[in-house]
Amino acid sequence: MLTYALTFAIACFALALILNLWRLATAPTMPDRILTVDTMVINIIALIVLYGAKAQSAVSFDAALLLAMTGFVSTVAFCKFLLRGGIIE
Amino acid sequence: MSLALIAALPFLGALTPALTQRFGRGIATATVALFSAAALLLILQHVPAIMAGQTITTQINWLPTLGLNANFRLDGLALLFALLILGIGLLIQIYARFYLDTSEPYARFLTYLMLFQGAMLGIVLSDNILLLLVFWEMTSLSSFLLIGFWSHLPKARQGARMALATTGAGGLAMIAGLLMLGHVAGGYDLSTILGERAAIQASPLYVPALLLILLGAFTKSAQFPFHYWLPHAMAAPTPVSAYLHSATMVKAGLFLLARLWPVLAGTPEWFWIVTSAGLITMSFAAGVALFKDDLKAILAYSTVSHLGLITFLLGLGTKAAATAAVFHILCHATFKAALFMLAGIVDHATHTRDIRALGGLRRAMPISFALASIATLSMAGIPPLNGFLSKEMMLEEAAHTAPWVIPVLATFAALLSVAYALRFLVYTFLGQAPAYAHAPHDPGAGLWLPPAILAALVVAIGLAPMAMAGWLVDAAASATTGEAVHAHIALWHGLQPPALWMSLAAVGGALVVLGLYPALRAAWDGAHKPDAKAMFDAGMGWLTKTATALTQGLHNGSLSRGFAVGLCSFLALGLYAYLSAPTLPGTRALTQISFAPVVAFGLLMTAALAATALHRKRLLALLLTGIVGLILSASFAYLSAPDLALTQITVEVVTIALMLLALNFLPKTTPRKTAGFRKLRDGGLAVAVGTGVAALAYTLMTREAMFPPISAFHLAQSLPGAGGHNAVNTIIVDFRGYDTYGEIIVLGIAALLIFALTESLLGTRWAVQPDHAAGDEGDAHPVMLQTATRLILPMAMLVGVYLFLRGHNEPGGGFVAGLVFAIGLVLQYIASGQDWAAARRRIPYHAMIGAGVLVASATGIGSFLAGRPFLTSNFTHGHLPPLKDFELATAALFDLGVFLCVLGAVMLALDALARLAKPQEGR
Amino acid sequence: MEVLIAIAIGTLTACGIYLMLRARTFPVILGLSLLSYAVNLFIFISGRIRLDAAPIIADGPYTDPLPQALVLTAIVISFGMTAVLVIMALGAYLTAGHDRIDTEDQHAEDQP
Repeated sequence: MLTYALTFAIACFALALILNLWRLATAPTMPDRILTVDTMVINIIALIVLYGAKAQSAVSFDAALLLAMTGFVSTVAFCKFLLRGGIIE
Repeated sequence: MSLALIAALPFLGALTPALTQRFGRGIATATVALFSAAALLLILQHVPAIMAGQTITTQINWLPTLGLNANFRLDGLALLFALLILGIGLLIQIYARFYLDTSEPYARFLTYLMLFQGAMLGIVLSDNILLLLVFWEMTSLSSFLLIGFWSHLPKARQGARMALATTGAGGLAMIAGLLMLGHVAGGYDLSTILGERAAIQASPLYVPALLLILLGAFTKSAQFPFHYWLPHAMAAPTPVSAYLHSATMVKAGLFLLARLWPVLAGTPEWFWIVTSAGLITMSFAAGVALFKDDLKAILAYSTVSHLGLITFLLGLGTKAAATAAVFHILCHATFKAALFMLAGIVDHATHTRDIRALGGLRRAMPISFALASIATLSMAGIPPLNGFLSKEMMLEEAAHTAPWVIPVLATFAALLSVAYALRFLVYTFLGQAPAYAHAPHDPGAGLWLPPAILAALVVAIGLAPMAMAGWLVDAAASATTGEAVHAHIALWHGLQPPALWMSLAAVGGALVVLGLYPALRAAWDGAHKPDAKAMFDAGMGWLTKTATALTQGLHNGSLSRGFAVGLCSFLALGLYAYLSAPTLPGTRALTQISFAPVVAFGLLMTAALAATALHRKRLLALLLTGIVGLILSASFAYLSAPDLALTQITVEVVTIALMLLALNFLPKTTPRKTAGFRKLRDGGLAVAVGTGVAALAYTLMTREAMFPPISAFHLAQSLPGAGGHNAVNTIIVDFRGYDTYGEIIVLGIAALLIFALTESLLGTRWAVQPDHAAGDEGDAHPVMLQTATRLILPMAMLVGVYLFLRGHNEPGGGFVAGLVFAIGLVLQYIASGQDWAAARRRIPYHAMIGAGVLVASATGIGSFLAGRPFLTSNFTHGHLPPLKDFELATAALFDLGVFLCVLGAVMLALDALARLAKPQEGR
Repeated sequence: MEVLIAIAIGTLTACGIYLMLRARTFPVILGLSLLSYAVNLFIFISGRIRLDAAPIIADGPYTDPLPQALVLTAIVISFGMTAVLVIMALGAYLTAGHDRIDTEDQHAEDQP
């Protein structure tokens, strides 16, 4: 049962990635695109965790943890760039 | 050992002039002479053994796997040459001491001279032909320095270049020839090669090897048509000419011919090539010498002629001819070195070397006249001097050789040499003295003594050939031919030998020629003669032009051009490899594929393609590249590489920060100005290479490894050998720790380079105002962001420490930990600014890099204490009650070094860029 | 899976090369990043693909750890390389006033 649930969840997040792509292509402004990439990071985190659960291995959870902790740094940097030009002032 | 020491002595001597020059030229000369004399004495000490037929050898293994050994041998032939090199070398040192002007850089001259002497001695003492090649090239280089010693003179520079280009090119050919020879003989030691005559001459490689070796020997020994460099090398100071161009360097080619005589000679190819080259050179150069007016030019062409004579004798391939050749090497060295020195003396005394402006010096310079008469008459082959003896032997051999043209040409050459020798003597010393600007007079003993010693030898050998030189000639000829030789050299053989009549004909003919000289000279001057220098210059010019065109065509400084040319060659080589060899069928089963990876890789490729298509919008392209990195990290996690995933995630973040910092300066868009053709060309090339790489990757992935990978060892030993469960980490910090050690040093250097470049950029005027992004909305340092990031910093550090500590057993390690720390710190820079962060920084990043490298080094050196090689790790199991059992490995300390270095390098690079971005006053 | 990865490597290579053949510094730097991705992935797959087999010693199977170790350091070094390239590009731009890489390349020369 859990296997089905995991497969379904993985499929959903994969679908979410496709939607991200759609949004990336059609987004009207740069901030929208940055937000899309941020969402993409979340989806990737979910996929890593789900695949780990499916394989019954916690080895790749660190990657998810690290992605969660540092993924937003790029977003912050991009936003700062758009707002201020320099990311370190 | 003794022979190696002998070979090393001149080189050691070459070091001394720099130290002794302050004590004056006398001391400097005495010091180097001491080294030459020591070498000479050590050689002489072996004479009795060599007379007894022994060969002295010394063996030192250098690169035995390549067949390159520092093996030396001293036999009769080597003895003859070593005595010439060191003996005449000593005389030259004395002569040069008095010859060179005080204003000249005398110490440098001595150093060059000793380098040359060492190289020359090395050639004749080498037992290994690869070692011989090394010394051979050294003679080319050191003679270049000596010929071009008066580098302020264009003629000297050109002459030196010409000599180097010619002998260097010949040396290259000879390398190939000797390698072939060693290949056929099955070894590169002369002791091996000399015993393989039958195998070498039967080999299909014999003719190519022979031609290549002869090319080397003929260029060095100035044989026609490579003779042209020698007259131009006369731009050298006279001591150099006397040394290099009479006794040593030009004889190196002959030495090689004699050395390899036992295995190469005796075939029709050898006979025809070597004999005709020698004969043509001998008569042609003698003819030219007759019409030269410069004293040194006459001697130069005379030298070429005599070298041709010796080559001719070696080419005949008989024992008696080889004996005559060896004897003439000795005789020629004595009288020719003396003559060069005397030409220098005349030049000093009269300030001219033009024979037409000289004359009547016999009264003003009686000593020089006496010495010159002896040497010149010997050169002409007049009895009872030594030149007569060897020339008689030559004519005797020629007389017995068919076809008839050989004895005729030999006699003709002898005739010419008598003529130019007499002209040399008569025009310089006899006749009416012109009005000299300064009254010429004999020089001091320092200048005339060296040629006097040689002239004494000329007479002594001529009068008592067997006593003076018989033993040496016997030994050298025996070593050359490989059989015991007992030469019988005498002044008078009776009336039967044809040589006597040929000599007489030569002398008579010479007198006739001199009588007709004005008419001949007019004809010579009127004749059209090819100018060797112009031809050489044209050839070199063509080579230079072609090389430049080729280089410009392949790489004209344009990055794109060079890159494209490189890619095309890769493509062509790959295609060739693919088409020329069969491809094994794929045996590895394909891995099951599922939906999510397809989507992810689809996203990756879309992002990459979009980044390429939209690269003009730089920020967007950067964002898209970021997506590629993100998905790649996830793929690493999916493909069983958690360590790579961690590293890629963190590197991605710092890379984006770096690129955004750079983009702050650079234009935000790329102008669209590229020609359509260029896009098409680049696109085609990119697609072709991409397809090739994809095919290669696919082929690789669907085949098993040809050989069991060494990583089986790493997996098996990770736990028992390195005390870690994480095989990737144990490889990095333990098995391949040396690589990592180099790696972090490179990273540190890169960071320091960035720092240095930033510093220099901060100090220069900028040509453009940086194109800062337009936006300046919102706060520079929003409070929300500041507060949040300050909370995140300790968490990031905690994660970093966690990843570091567990790295040996689970995914993590120093690299990732360093990057996580760096991200935490970068976040502070972004939120609160560079000033704020810099004010709170306690440890400079340079120090962090240095500390990292030091810690890693200390760990590596620590293993010396345990008596094991650098970077051997050790570990033990620790036990601390509330925790699980854990391993304590020295590798963890090494990993700490990695951590510090990575952290310092990343932060130094980003900090440098951030400082660059700060608004500067007055810019 | 192998097909997919091979195509991905090919695409990354092609994109990287195309960008590196551009005439401005920034696309070249981006191209180098893409090419590094491709090369790293290529080295990585020389250990062949094996799912759920991380080389953490427990109870096998394991994938080949050696290419992973190589790629790990390569990732970090390529950051260093990119950083050096970036500062060189910046220096060239700030001192020369433009960001063309081949000043003498006629094809790339901007016509005013």
